[in-house]
Amino acid sequence: MMSEKMSFKAGYRSRTVFRLCNGVFMALIVLVVMIPLLKVLSDSLDKTTRYGINLWPQHFSIDAYKTIFTNKNLYTPFLISVLTTVVGTVLGLLITTFGAYVLNQPTLIGRKFFSKFIFITMIFNGGLVPTFLVLKGLGLTNTLGAVLLPASVNVFNMVLMRNFFSQIPNSLFESAEIDGCSPIRIFGQIVLPLSLPALASIGLFFAVQFWNEYFNYVMYITDTNLYNFQVKLRELVLNDQNMMDPSVVGFGNMVKNAAVIVAMLPFLFVYPFAQRYFISGVTLGAVKE
Amino acid sequence: MFAAKEKERPPKRSFAYIKNKIYRDRLYYLMFLPVAVMTILFYYLPMVGIRFAFYEYTPFKKEFVGLDNFKELFFGVMSKNFWRAFNNTLFLSIVNLILATIISVVLALLLNDLKSRKIRGGIQTILYLPHFMSWVVVSSIFLIILSPQGGFINNILGFFGTEPIYFMANKKWWVPVYLFICRWKDTGWGTIIYLAALTGLNPELYEAAEIDGAGKFKQALYVTLPGLMTTIITVFVLNLGKVLNIFESVFVLGNDQVKEVSDVISVMAYRIGMKGADYGMGTAIGLFKSVVGLVLVLITDEINKKIRGSSLL
Repeated sequence: MMSEKMSFKAGYRSRTVFRLCNGVFMALIVLVVMIPLLKVLSDSLDKTTRYGINLWPQHFSIDAYKTIFTNKNLYTPFLISVLTTVVGTVLGLLITTFGAYVLNQPTLIGRKFFSKFIFITMIFNGGLVPTFLVLKGLGLTNTLGAVLLPASVNVFNMVLMRNFFSQIPNSLFESAEIDGCSPIRIFGQIVLPLSLPALASIGLFFAVQFWNEYFNYVMYITDTNLYNFQVKLRELVLNDQNMMDPSVVGFGNMVKNAAVIVAMLPFLFVYPFAQRYFISGVTLGAVKE
Repeated sequence: MFAAKEKERPPKRSFAYIKNKIYRDRLYYLMFLPVAVMTILFYYLPMVGIRFAFYEYTPFKKEFVGLDNFKELFFGVMSKNFWRAFNNTLFLSIVNLILATIISVVLALLLNDLKSRKIRGGIQTILYLPHFMSWVVVSSIFLIILSPQGGFINNILGFFGTEPIYFMANKKWWVPVYLFICRWKDTGWGTIIYLAALTGLNPELYEAAEIDGAGKFKQALYVTLPGLMTTIITVFVLNLGKVLNIFESVFVLGNDQVKEVSDVISVMAYRIGMKGADYGMGTAIGLFKSVVGLVLVLITDEINKKIRGSSLL
């Protein structure tokens, strides 16, 4: 297999043709994924009144980004996004690790009940309107609590975390218990330090979830001062569509494009370094068997 | 000292033992408390609210009406829209699921055949990227690119002398465009599970096939695909249980002009229950979705048990 070369000699021909086709096909797929992103990036840096089919800026300018970070209407949502992502991730990780740790105690009385109690929410729920009515009754609507609290209980992430905890050898806990460690000390000093990769994975899942949150804002919040950047972006894109006025399709478009880029910017910075944590999060789920 | 303590322990299952054990584990229960409280508040309390499906409930009125909401939904004036939304939900998610399975498997096979690890890793990084973008970002990108006023695609079409097409507001175009955008976002991510399954295949099988004179294509057909079949079916069946869940993608990509093909159950529940503030009817639509969804999940889990011998619930 290893000595196989790119050759059109008899015997290798079909394989070589296949590999060339495969290469071309892969290049096409990559282009299909990248071109929409490149076009948006290019237009966000292009101070022109008419966008063509070019994938690079005709009149380079970073004015659109300046607008986003100096206009209060635009940078406030960005700050809300940052705030909710940080708070939500910490909260989510706390709830997830607490729940997963307790569910991973094999001798705990009531453990099976707790598991069922948590898992039922995965396959059945009250639905949109009853959830809204409950949050309204709790006085959480029109506060960021409506966005932060319910979403920090993520059963799927809890299952992933528990799968990870279950791989830690039991003897470690037993010896710590014999030494008189309290469960909370075992949790803080043994379990968490051993779980850093899982914490990174699940923390990233939460961060992406809270950063990308859109619908909960639309559902539960009417105070526009509390909207995050996703809601703002949606508003920018839709307003521009509704106007249908060719005269605003200049600078307005540039800001719109730049807003798309800003809406994924923090993630783009982390992604190249964090990719393996995302993927290990997926494979964590497969350990269950 | 520890051994002595062991001896004193009362027999298991006795009341004293249970009391003692619960007392010793009290900190675990304390840790579980916030999880339990939040689960009850945000997941179980709404289940109590399901009773409003049998109420006429608006901000001004709250009155028990029995099955009236469902009668209206299934047979009344609203039934036309309701069944249309139901059909659209099934159609969009099942076609999407079939496309997702085929394209992801083929892509995984092709990725697996790339010799250079570096190139392969680079391609994977790019292909996984759209999965992490929010639906708002993805829809914004495509709304901009497909715009009839100076959008990228219409500019290209204009280059060939075609009139601009308003893709998102055209009933004929909306469905294929929606499916394309769904695939654009998640196909790459979908390959991960198949790539993982591929690394688990026995290389001896390929050697044997090669000795028997099977080319690349035949190897894929007779060795790889059968090897992947369990994974393919498991993933397919699992997702079949979730077909009613499509929501956010349609919520941000659909619009009033294409309602006929884009309206789905959960969007309808939102429109009537939240925007229209008809809480009773909104809950009824949601309940219908939850019950059918639950039945689907239970059926698919049963099938899964038969295939893999293990339940996922």
